[in-house]
Amino acid sequence: MAKTIMTVDDSPSMRMLLRVALTDLGYSVVEAEDGVHALEKLDGFQPDLLITDINMPRMDGFGLISEVRGQGRRSLPILVLTTESSDEKKQRARDAGATGWIVKPFHPEKLAAAIRRVLH
Amino acid sequence: MSALQARDGLRRVTVAQGETQVSSERDVVLTTVLGSCVAACFYDPVAQIGGINHYLLADGTASDPASMQRYGVYAMEVLINAMLTMGAARSRLRARIFGGATMREGFRDIGGANIAFARTFLRNERIALVGEDVGGTRARRVEFRAAVGLARCRSVVDAAPPVIAVRKPPPPPAAVGDVEFF
Repeated sequence: MAKTIMTVDDSPSMRMLLRVALTDLGYSVVEAEDGVHALEKLDGFQPDLLITDINMPRMDGFGLISEVRGQGRRSLPILVLTTESSDEKKQRARDAGATGWIVKPFHPEKLAAAIRRVLH
Repeated sequence: MSALQARDGLRRVTVAQGETQVSSERDVVLTTVLGSCVAACFYDPVAQIGGINHYLLADGTASDPASMQRYGVYAMEVLINAMLTMGAARSRLRARIFGGATMREGFRDIGGANIAFARTFLRNERIALVGEDVGGTRARRVEFRAAVGLARCRSVVDAAPPVIAVRKPPPPPAAVGDVEFF
């Protein structure tokens, strides 16, 4: 059965690019448009991996990661996918409980390798 | 990017291919010269913040549409994020697009691809496209007073086609696509 990846990004264009790339890799994809929407979808649902943007309305990626970890979901891998690359923001993500950090625009092969590393 | 103080009291900031610039200062004019490239000017009329990017998605040999899309979405997201950081709201953004000329006859329509990407992106993101001056065969100079949302575009009739028409897209920042595990 295909593993499920939740993607969280406020840009429909970015969600579409991720959906195409991830389904091509054989994964099932669930999408959310910001942190609040993601938490709603995570209620009673456990994906195998969460990939989230940082800059989003209502609840950003840092808030989402903190909430997810605060719910006790320690084993859920969380990859940040963002245009940001500052050490300060990486540290914030690390402190919140992120598993890894990927800089946009994503490279499909690097993304695939990162997913394999956290899922298998 | 460079800034020049002109006699009219306005400061002109040149935005090169691959760059993004935002401003909320009323005396700043963001300016760029376009051949096949496209520049998107975004403006939030409430926050009075504007920004411009300058992108080229493909050269004459590119054959990977997915790569083009990833780079284009990235170029737009960098601009939008920079504006949001300054206090703009995504829901208030209005866009104008410029450029996308066909600079060489018989050459693959790079400009057209750049225009098509911008229109599709704005439609998908529900960002209002309120004006455009695109296509044709002449280079353009765009001057954008970002803090007041005024964009002026004129043909560059006496200039040779900019070499950017056949230049490869600039390499993205060194870290792009890199993965770091914590």
